[in-house]
Amino acid sequence: MKKVIRLVGVQLWAILGSMFALGQQKKRKSNSLYLGFAALAILLSGLSFFYAYIAGMGLRVFNSIDLLPTLFMSLTSVILLFTTVYKIKGTLFGFKDYDMVMSLPVSNSQIVASRLILLYSINIVFVLIIMIPMMLAYGILAQPGIQFYVFSILTLFFIPLIPIIIAAIIGTILTYLTMRFRYSNIVYIVFVFLLLIGMMVFPYLLGDSNEALVEISQEINNQVSNIYPMSQYYSKAVIEGDIVSLIIFMLASLLAFSAFSLLLGKVFKRINSVLMTGRYRRKGQTRLKSSKSSSPLKALYKKELKRYFASVVYVMNTGFGVVIMVLGAIALPFIDINTMTGEMNITGAVKDLIPIFVVFCIATSSTTMASISIEGKHFWIAKSLPVSELMIFKSKILVNFTILAPVLFATLLICFTMELPFIDSLLILLLAASFSVFVSIYGLVINLSFPSLIWTNETVIVKQSTSSMISIFTSIGMVAIQYLLIMVTGDMKKSILLFLVLIWVINLILYKRLSTRGIRQFKDINC
Amino acid sequence: MLSIRNFSKSYKGGKKAVDSLNLDINSGDIFGFIGHNGAGKTTTIRAIVGVLDFEEGDILIDGVSIKKDPVSCKRITAYIPDNPDLYDHLTGIGYLNFIADIYEVDKDEREKSIVKYAEALELTANLGDSISSYSHGMKQKLAIISALIHKPKLLVLDEPFVGLDPKATLTLRNIMVELCNSGSAIFFSTHVLLVAEKLCNKIGIIKDGRLVAYGPTQEVKGDSSLEDVFMELIETDK
Repeated sequence: MKKVIRLVGVQLWAILGSMFALGQQKKRKSNSLYLGFAALAILLSGLSFFYAYIAGMGLRVFNSIDLLPTLFMSLTSVILLFTTVYKIKGTLFGFKDYDMVMSLPVSNSQIVASRLILLYSINIVFVLIIMIPMMLAYGILAQPGIQFYVFSILTLFFIPLIPIIIAAIIGTILTYLTMRFRYSNIVYIVFVFLLLIGMMVFPYLLGDSNEALVEISQEINNQVSNIYPMSQYYSKAVIEGDIVSLIIFMLASLLAFSAFSLLLGKVFKRINSVLMTGRYRRKGQTRLKSSKSSSPLKALYKKELKRYFASVVYVMNTGFGVVIMVLGAIALPFIDINTMTGEMNITGAVKDLIPIFVVFCIATSSTTMASISIEGKHFWIAKSLPVSELMIFKSKILVNFTILAPVLFATLLICFTMELPFIDSLLILLLAASFSVFVSIYGLVINLSFPSLIWTNETVIVKQSTSSMISIFTSIGMVAIQYLLIMVTGDMKKSILLFLVLIWVINLILYKRLSTRGIRQFKDINC
Repeated sequence: MLSIRNFSKSYKGGKKAVDSLNLDINSGDIFGFIGHNGAGKTTTIRAIVGVLDFEEGDILIDGVSIKKDPVSCKRITAYIPDNPDLYDHLTGIGYLNFIADIYEVDKDEREKSIVKYAEALELTANLGDSISSYSHGMKQKLAIISALIHKPKLLVLDEPFVGLDPKATLTLRNIMVELCNSGSAIFFSTHVLLVAEKLCNKIGIIKDGRLVAYGPTQEVKGDSSLEDVFMELIETDK
C-alpha cells in the first residue's frame, strides 16, 4: 500500500505541476492562479448549493425532500461515469510515464490501483463541490438528525469508487476492442461518442417529459436504483440511518475497487504493450512515391489535425459540443416542438434561445486553449522550423475552425427547421462564425500566457490546466453576456447585432495581441 | 557560415550558462564542441538554431542574424537535438513529408533524399510505422534523415552518436564528411573525444560557459591527444 501511495503522490504532484505550470510561472502569477482556483471552487459550490436548495424546495412541496440526497448522489455518479470513460485511455492505458512506472519494483495491480486512485483524487474534488453544498441545503430544508451528517460524510469518500470502476471497465473494453484497428484512436473516439450519446438519450426514451418535478425525481430515482443498485443502499444509509446499508455501500465500493485492480493487473501490461509498440502496424516496404507535397501552412495544419485526433481526451473535451449540436440539428426535424412544450406555448422562447445554444456549443469547443501545451516535449520542433510564429498560430486556429465548421452547418439546419426568417438566420450564422473566431483566437492567446509543456497526462492539459479553465469560463461568460443582451433588449436581432459589434472589437484586439505579444510569448517559452 | 559574437545567456538566478562566446565556422568545416555536463554546449546549440531566445550578443548564419531574421536562418539550417522527441502521432514517412513540406523541398528531390538516407541508415522498412513504436536509435536515425532532406548549409547536432548502433555511427560520420565536401558546415557537440579528434578540423572546448580552447584541431591538441588536452583544461582551476 505504501508503494501505491508513493506512486499516487508522484503522479498527483506531476498533475498539479501541469495544472499550475509550476516552475514555469512567476511566483506572483502562481499565487493569483491558486486564488483564482479557490474562487472558482467557491463559486461552483455556491451554484451547487443554489440548485440543491431550489430542487429541495420543489421536492418539499410534495413531501419528497428525502429524495434530494439520493438524487444528487445518483446525478454525481452519472456525471463521474460520463467524464471518466474517456479519461481511461491516457490514464490507465498509453500514459506517458508508462516505461518509468513499469520499470519500478511494483506489481501491475499496484500500478493499476495507483492510476485508479489518481482518477479518484481528481473526481473526489468534484464530489465534494457537489455533495457538501447539497448536504447543507438538505440540512436547512429537512432538519435531519446528526446521523445524516455523519453517514453523509462517511459515504462521501466512497461515492466515486464504483462510477470510476464502471468507467474503467467500459474504457478497458473499448481500448481492447479498438487497439487492433490501424486508426484505433479514431475508432475509440467514435465508440465513446456513441456510448455517451446513447447514455444521454436512453432515459428520455423511457420517461415522459410532462411529469411534475417530484414524479421525475421519483422516476429518476427508480431508474437509477434499477440500473445502479448502490443508490438504494446510499439512500437507506443516509436517510434512514441503516448501518447495514452503510457498511454494504462502503464495503462493496472498496471490494469492487480492489477486485478490479487485481483483475486488470492481469491484462494491463498486454494492452499497454500493444498500444505502445503498435503490434498491428503495417509491415513491409513503405511506398515513398505516393507522398504528396503541401505548402508549409497546409503541412502544419495537417500535422495539427493529426495531433488533435490522436488524443481521445482532446477530442472528447472539445468536440462533444459540436457533435451534440450536429446530432440535435439532424434530430430536430423529427421532433415536434409544439407537442413537446404542450400548452406552455414556448416555441417563441425556444427560438430566442437558439443563439444561446449555438454560442454555448462553440464556447465548449476551443481546441486552441491547449494547442501549445499539448506539444509538450515536441515543442522544440515548432521552434526550430523555418516558419513564422504567426503561421504556426494560424495552423492551430485553422484546426479549431475545422472542428467548428459543422456548427455552421448545424446552425443553418436549426434555423431552417425552426422556420426562422432569413435575416434572423443570417444573423445567427454570422454570430456562430464570429464567435468561432473569438473562441479560437482567445484560446491561443490564453495558452500562450499559461503554457505547460511538462506533463505526463493529457487530461490535465486539456481539462484541468489554468489555460483551459480560463478559456472555457471566459467563453461561457461571453454566452452569459449574449443572454443578458437578449434579456435587456428583449429583441433577438438587436441583441445579436450588439454582440457582434462587441465580439469583433474583442477579436481585433486579440488578433493584434497575438501578432505582437503572442509572438514574444511563443519565443519566450522554454523547451 | 556561422559567426557567434559575444553571445551570453543567463538563466533564472543570474547564473551565466554561456559567457561572451565568440566563434567562426566556415563552409566545409566540421566543428566539434566539447565540454563537461552543464558547460553550456546545449544552451549554445539551442540559441544557434533559434530554439532559445537570448539578449546578449548575436549569432549570424550565412551573414544573417538569427535574432533579426530567424526564418531565413532556419531555412538553411538543420538541427538534431540530443533527445529527438519527434511527433509520436505521425508515421516515419509522415514526419519526413511534414519536414519536407515545411522546407518546401520538391517531390522528386525529397524522394531521392529519403530513399538515399533511409537506405543508408537502414530505416526504409520502418518508415510506415508510427514513431511511437520507434526505439531511441530509430528516432535518432529519422531525425538525421529529416535534417538532411533539405540539404542544409549548416547542420547542428547535439550528441548525435548517442543511441546509434556502430554501423549507423559510421554511416553518419560518412554523411557528415560528404556534406562538408559539398560546402556545408557542421557544428556538433560530443563527449566522444576520439570521434571529435578524427572527424573535426576545428575544435572548441567550453568550460563553465567560457570558451577555453578554440582553433584547428591540430593546434588545439598539439602533440597530445585531445583527451589529454581536455582533461588538463577541465582540471585547471578546479
